[in-house]
Amino acid sequence: METFIQQLINGLTVGSLYALVALGYTMVYGVMKLINFAHGDLVAFSAYVGLTIFTQFYGSNALTLVNIVIVFSLTSIVVAFMGVLLERLAYRPLRTAPRLSAVVSALGASLVIQNGIMLIWGPNMEIFPSDIFPSTTWNFGGVLISYTQFVILALSAFLMVSLYLFINKTKIGTAIRATAIDQDAAKLMGINVNRIVMIIFIVGSMLGAIGGLFIGVYYRGLTFDMGWMYGLNAFIAAIIGGIGSIPGAMLGGLLLGLFNAMISGYISTEWAETFTFILLIIILIVRPAGLLGHNVAEKV
Amino acid sequence: MNNKTTITIAFLAIMAFLPLLADSAWLSIGITFLVFAVVAFSQDIILGRAGVFNMGHAIFFGIGAYTTAILNVHFGLEIIYTIPFAIIFSAIIAVLLAGPIIHLKGDYFLVATIGFNIIFEQVLSNDIFGLTGGPNGIFGIDVIRIFGYELFSDTAIYYIAFGLLIITLFIIRNLDNSKYGRALYYINKDEIAAKSMGINVPYYKLFAFALGASIAGVAGSVFAIQYSAVSPESFNFMQSVMFFAIVLVGGSASLPGVIIGTFVMFVLPELFTEFKESRYLIFGAAMVLTMILRPNGVWPVTFGNIPKFLRPKKGAK
Repeated sequence: METFIQQLINGLTVGSLYALVALGYTMVYGVMKLINFAHGDLVAFSAYVGLTIFTQFYGSNALTLVNIVIVFSLTSIVVAFMGVLLERLAYRPLRTAPRLSAVVSALGASLVIQNGIMLIWGPNMEIFPSDIFPSTTWNFGGVLISYTQFVILALSAFLMVSLYLFINKTKIGTAIRATAIDQDAAKLMGINVNRIVMIIFIVGSMLGAIGGLFIGVYYRGLTFDMGWMYGLNAFIAAIIGGIGSIPGAMLGGLLLGLFNAMISGYISTEWAETFTFILLIIILIVRPAGLLGHNVAEKV
Repeated sequence: MNNKTTITIAFLAIMAFLPLLADSAWLSIGITFLVFAVVAFSQDIILGRAGVFNMGHAIFFGIGAYTTAILNVHFGLEIIYTIPFAIIFSAIIAVLLAGPIIHLKGDYFLVATIGFNIIFEQVLSNDIFGLTGGPNGIFGIDVIRIFGYELFSDTAIYYIAFGLLIITLFIIRNLDNSKYGRALYYINKDEIAAKSMGINVPYYKLFAFALGASIAGVAGSVFAIQYSAVSPESFNFMQSVMFFAIVLVGGSASLPGVIIGTFVMFVLPELFTEFKESRYLIFGAAMVLTMILRPNGVWPVTFGNIPKFLRPKKGAK
């Protein structure tokens, strides 16, 4: 039973990382109907940027809370800027082009960011310092929760609730939802679609940046091509929840994290990815619109 | 004799005489080019002609290569007899994988095929049933023997690959002129209209998928013969992305387009080895730029033998 609860906690932690990244995918897909393949590499980029800021400015001493907040905000701002740049250069010129062109452009942008990381930071693995958060671990009757896990769970929950309120309760959120439903109608209602797309890339990239920093803090090892795998997992999470749906991405992320933890805990770590993709294919066959998505009939 | 035939014949003539001029380094680049051109054409049948978003094409290339390697190394079968198995296995697995999901809309199909490719990589590198040799792959594949003659020189392999390319082009030409080719053309243009005209959309899509997969399977066999070894990283997800990009960057359903795409993606890197570090960076930027400047690919799309009055007007989607 303790192993089960332990895997549950680990799964929720990994799941909230997936959820943070998945939100970026699902928001872009919801509005632009485009798989933003470069999002995973932005996440990897944010981990590297965060690492550089940590080591450059603060050395490897234990950090105060204020410093951590500064590093997190600085990194999110840099990555948000990258996200907006990405949209301007690679996606905006293709808004009306055939859909496959945008997919190829996204793949190209992903290659550029991935190899840009390799050229800047080198092809070898970089290690995140281990003492960013205190190494305290709480023991609840055999179940261990580390300080890092607690921060990840708490901050992710806070960010997701804020995003939910932002999308559902504010004027900009309403505009985002309207644009996702029908771009042309939204334009007629006086919504500046270009601005909405920019806001989506800012918010998505910032959430991805936090996710990337957490990946660094939690897993510690960074490689330049890690964006692919985290990106794919997060994207699968978005599909499981129902792509385009924001609560769906959160739910999908948590479920996928739990699923991964249970598979690695009880069945096999060698075949973990295979199980993930089998789950994805089953979901696609049984319920292509995802758990919380809606099936939209094709219009002629 | 129209423009398209002239280009094809000129290209084939140049490729036929290349071994007379080339040294061994150039010859092996030539083989690589021919093999990948065949794979690119087979992907073009699936992606360019049928409009099926297949991002797992390296799977079928890999199944062909591994079929040849496993049957030859573990079961001692002559190379020449492994090729029919490569064709059949690729086609069967293509139907088994794509069958249940062929009805999915573009992006979902694309993600599912990415999934298949990642599973395929894991199957290969986890040494399933002790057959695939794990992360190092399989070494020591025999030379090809036809009627007792050993064909081990690069020139011989070059002409095998060249023959395969000609067969592939022949198949594509016949496909374009057939009932199947016309059905695929209409499906690609407007799936709902095609369906309402009574075209069995899943059947034709699956047909294109299996045809493309089996051609990629043969190309995989030749690839295994060329290097006399196979390993998982030649068939990973990155390769599939390359096969996907070749067709769309070059120009889908266009012979010169696919040739240009193959040349840029697989031959140029061999020539400019000093840029190897930043090779993918340049590729990525080139992919973005090409799509912005020419969303339909470098080379104008050609439509096979569609009557003139049926061709879409300029500017129509």
